[in-house]
Amino acid sequence: MKTYKPAATIFSSLAALALLSACPFVLPTYWTLILTEILIMGLFAMSFNLLLGYTGLLSFGQAGFFGVGAYATALFISKGGSSLFLCLVISLAAGAAAAVVIGYFCVRRDEIYFAMITLAFGMMLYTVAHSWIELTGGSDGLPLMTLPSLRLFGMELSLYSPTNMFMIVLLVTAVCIFFLWRLVRSPFGLLLTAIRENKQRLSFVGAGVQNLRLAAFVIAGALAGISGCMFSLFNSMAAPDFLHWGFSARPVLMTILGGSGIFFGPMLGAAVFFGLEQAITNITQNWMFFLGLILTPVVIFFPKGILGTLVDYLFKKTKGKP
Amino acid sequence: MRDVPILKIENLGHSYGKYLVIQDISLEVDSGEMTALIGPNGAGKTTFYNTVTGRFPPTRGRVHFNGKEITGFPAHKLVPMGLIRSFQITNIFPKLTVIENVLVPLVLHYRKGYSFLRALTGEKKLYRNAEEVLDKVGILESAHRPAGELAYGDKRLVEMAIVLARNPKLVMLDEPTAGMNPEETERMIYLIKELAERFGTTFFLTEHDMKVVFAVATQIYVLHQGGLIAQGDPETIRIDPKVREAYLGGSVND
Amino acid sequence: MESFIINLLNGLSWGMLLFLISVGLTTVFGVLGVLNFAHGSLFMLGAYLCMQMMHFVPSFWAGLLTGPLLVAILGVVIERLLLRRIYGRDITFQLLLTFAILLVLDDAVRMIWGPGYHVVDPPTILSGVFSIFSRTYPVYRVFLVVAGPLIGLVLWSFFQLTRWGKIIRAAAVDREMAEGIGIRVPILFTAVFGLGAWLAAVGGALAAPHQSLAPSMGERIIIESFIVVVSGGMGSFPGAFVGALLLGLLESFGTVFLGRAQMAIPYILLATVLLIRPRGFFGREV
Repeated sequence: MKTYKPAATIFSSLAALALLSACPFVLPTYWTLILTEILIMGLFAMSFNLLLGYTGLLSFGQAGFFGVGAYATALFISKGGSSLFLCLVISLAAGAAAAVVIGYFCVRRDEIYFAMITLAFGMMLYTVAHSWIELTGGSDGLPLMTLPSLRLFGMELSLYSPTNMFMIVLLVTAVCIFFLWRLVRSPFGLLLTAIRENKQRLSFVGAGVQNLRLAAFVIAGALAGISGCMFSLFNSMAAPDFLHWGFSARPVLMTILGGSGIFFGPMLGAAVFFGLEQAITNITQNWMFFLGLILTPVVIFFPKGILGTLVDYLFKKTKGKP
Repeated sequence: MRDVPILKIENLGHSYGKYLVIQDISLEVDSGEMTALIGPNGAGKTTFYNTVTGRFPPTRGRVHFNGKEITGFPAHKLVPMGLIRSFQITNIFPKLTVIENVLVPLVLHYRKGYSFLRALTGEKKLYRNAEEVLDKVGILESAHRPAGELAYGDKRLVEMAIVLARNPKLVMLDEPTAGMNPEETERMIYLIKELAERFGTTFFLTEHDMKVVFAVATQIYVLHQGGLIAQGDPETIRIDPKVREAYLGGSVND
Repeated sequence: MESFIINLLNGLSWGMLLFLISVGLTTVFGVLGVLNFAHGSLFMLGAYLCMQMMHFVPSFWAGLLTGPLLVAILGVVIERLLLRRIYGRDITFQLLLTFAILLVLDDAVRMIWGPGYHVVDPPTILSGVFSIFSRTYPVYRVFLVVAGPLIGLVLWSFFQLTRWGKIIRAAAVDREMAEGIGIRVPILFTAVFGLGAWLAAVGGALAAPHQSLAPSMGERIIIESFIVVVSGGMGSFPGAFVGALLLGLLESFGTVFLGRAQMAIPYILLATVLLIRPRGFFGREV
């Protein structure tokens, strides 16, 4: 906190943004696609970490809101919608609305019970996506027949171009991350960490813990919705799998991999996840097997995750100097 | 002229099923007094605290605070009215720094809890206020250390600072010196007295350490087997034969 | 009427399998405090290893005897090598570690036995069908309906009457107390996890002739057994029994009432229990 320098933070984030936006012009298309996916899933994991890392709530149903966002976009486009901005807004609203209703019930429970009840609601949403065939296309999913395009400075930017897709995803992700960054540094963010640290104490200094949790849950749901929107644009479809508990396990995994105690931990976790996936699937089909093998020592020996352990290490090193 | 008592309790009782834990407790706490509730372990002190401070509602009786009925109010309604409690065990936010521990109640006090996008560090008033409170209890120099790393006695002071930060009208302390060494106890007694005298904070406390009770309290109630058996100033209690017999076992003058 | 009986038998036989796997899961949770995501994979391994052993000795009973034993040994190894290091940690880490084990085991099964389906024939005396009114019904499922309560009874007597059973129950209620009265907790934990793994594998072996074997069978059943354990009350033996029967019956009759929304039944049950009675039917006060 004392060493927090706004100017340095702003400068380094702008540098990172500049570096990232250069990527599609120097990297092969294939890697641009993977970077796009990393950004989308990284944002999803960061929104999940608002609950896990900051508020201390393990949700096993975040894919539900991600999927609601994806289907909102797919439905909007299948009904003739063509504005990218509206896609994002509708998915955000849909994710938030689902989170208000579901969160109202979930925030009353703690720990394993919270994990189980979020799992239950997430899977109910999955059932809707899977079984309401008239609306969602059932298990085949809902294809996006056309992608919205963007008019900028009189130019028509097509999202079919991986570069344009990457740029849009980068922009949206950066805005969402900036929002999250402000959020965790706000008075509200302090109260969320207080919930994680000692919920009973917090309520005995006069906080309505459940309402605070609900607010965090809705924000996480809204951001998951936006991630889902981008994911459906990226894949040109929304599928029931996006809502399955197996998909909910992904942000959990990425967050622990990167480190839940660090703001950018989940994003790094997503990068490591996809990087490993590329490296391993080149060699063998059994990526899950190796993922399990890699995850095991991380969970046992590096509970703070890769970034968390790294930061600890660097911090200790600088602290040791006179 | 006598004001309305800040806390007025009428015929309070609580039972778990058939088992009556406390019964028919009536007492008053006056503003500016230092009121203590004493009693042996199992007398029902903790149940009394829990029913009054909103952990769970009492099964019978009424509680008034500042002239308003508050029976069964949950804690998050009581605190804004000015009634706040501390806990017997250390109850702080261990991974937050000391100053953040105090900023939490201050954020709530100034209704900034749903301020999403303004940086906390920009809230100069909150920081100034937090530093004042830390100065009051004497742990300002540890402001930026994680609260969980402090010595036991200092953690209790953090707890006290959390309580005071909301500028309460009445502080209910549950065994404020439990588990402290003599030096820490000494410091806590001094602090409580000073807070009462310099800042006019009204305290209600339970305590099993008689030294502490007689050092700070101006009004004492004695709880035994779930009911009140005596009340009065420390001198009255000290010589009350019922109290000696039922509870103090003759060791009052230790 | 006949469809009612068939639904009833389907529900009961499925419920019995759920009970077998849930009772291990709930005991492990009660004693070790770990909700084991890989429990379904142990169930699946039980089925596959039973099938594998039947290649060596072509008898279902031999497979049922030896397959689960191998899984129990694997369980002991997992506990000693991995789980032991994360007791008392946050649930996120416990769930994630056991999830990692699930990933490894599930993919290992895919590597060894391939991604396709396998079928295990029931033993000769239990093969065939008999008729209920105008319809036929597999004998093996009726066997499951009968075997379930029998195994339950044996387990129940083990927990109620034997010294080890009593120790495990005591430890499930209060771990510290168990330590206080001189139980060697580390060995107890290993034994309980081995027992849990064995029970899951027995469930898997018994399920082998009842359903086809595929690498996804573990993932499917683990969530349902979570639901049984949570609704029955985490750590509760009778809770696992009642929860499993209830879920089995709800699922088999659900097709009648809810049509294609029946997939949601387990989750509706889970959410309802967690909202109304979060500690489950037989759970201790939280």
